[in-house]
Amino acid sequence: MSKLECIGVSKAYGGHKVLKDISLCLEEHRIYGLIGRNGAGKTTLLSLLSGQTFAAGGQVLCDGEPVWENQDALDKICFSREISKTTFFGNKDRMTSDMLKAGAYFYPGWDEDYARELTDIFELDTDKKITELSDGMRSALTIVMALASQAPITFLDEPVAGLDVFMRDRFYKLLLEEYCESERTFVVSTHIIDEATSLLEDVIILDRGKIVCMENTEELLERHRMVSGLAEDIDRFCEGRNVVHSETLGRKKTVCVAIDDMAGFRRDAEGYDFDISKASLQKLFMNLL
Amino acid sequence: MEFREDKAIFVQIAESIEDDILRGILFEDERAPSTNELAAAYEINPNTAAKSLSMLMNDGILYKKRGVGMFVAAGAKEKIFDKRRCVFVDDYLHPMLREAKLLGLTPDMLASMIREEAGHEEVCHE
Repeated sequence: MSKLECIGVSKAYGGHKVLKDISLCLEEHRIYGLIGRNGAGKTTLLSLLSGQTFAAGGQVLCDGEPVWENQDALDKICFSREISKTTFFGNKDRMTSDMLKAGAYFYPGWDEDYARELTDIFELDTDKKITELSDGMRSALTIVMALASQAPITFLDEPVAGLDVFMRDRFYKLLLEEYCESERTFVVSTHIIDEATSLLEDVIILDRGKIVCMENTEELLERHRMVSGLAEDIDRFCEGRNVVHSETLGRKKTVCVAIDDMAGFRRDAEGYDFDISKASLQKLFMNLL
Repeated sequence: MEFREDKAIFVQIAESIEDDILRGILFEDERAPSTNELAAAYEINPNTAAKSLSMLMNDGILYKKRGVGMFVAAGAKEKIFDKRRCVFVDDYLHPMLREAKLLGLTPDMLASMIREEAGHEEVCHE
């Protein structure tokens, strides 16, 4: 079991600020979802947290120890990156089996039997060149690497990209199985949000290099409501409330409201003819940005 | 399982266990699914599953045998009846009344519709 935290980290590439003063703490034994639009800084954040990229400011600590160039700390973290389609660390002829061998070399806890079992489950052909794998199979390879690494803190960057619905389902089941049997912490970034909602204990929403929210998934969903009705009524009702998003269709208005006092909200809404519903995580994510 | 958005997932899982008890799929004094079994079956975070089970335990529907797991309590059905009848008003009556109001149906009209439909069902079942 390990805990990872970062305090005030920033990162810029050629003057462009990718991450701005980020602080967060990953608790032991949890599954976090990392969501954000393309270019939000998700991969850069995971890269910084795993000591693969140097942070311009701030610090990253694993169990209280700095991560940067610290082998003891790095041994506890696995960042299973998306594998490039065209080249694999510059070598076009690298085999899938080479990648797995590298896993055994890099990760002290690497579980060879489990890796073999996983390659079977995902029907991954280890005799193929990495550059010849399909998108889905390259994702499957990153999943095998991540799970078999047995690292206490494991990051999966878009593990289900390109996977069909059966393979995605297999991944979710395997992730849960591993999570139940171990004390590992997982951070999973994904664009298929609603499918993963029930797996994610906490969700980290990243936008333009900043954390928009980091919260228990259920609590986040529970404290927001979609409210729709006659625009004037909605406007009157929303005075002094925290409206995070609004849409108008003719005389009808739909708002997404963040609520502190649910009982009070319900009481106040009773006098109106409103449609009130909860939003899915995907819908809420879009509303929050 | 596809989850609905209007209810927390742990409540939906708890309700599906209650349904199993009501429908005679799970018997009294029989072991209920464990946290990990629920997590795998429904593809949910095990902490969510644990929350469902502890809710059912607090409601007296399940009880814990140390080191063995959770079991269906004696009289669980009656407890579920009581609990669900309370929720019935919120879950079913309120949405129905709202729709009825929208359609200009009075409570009296609704009542006679319910009686008529229930009569049909009885005839069908006989």
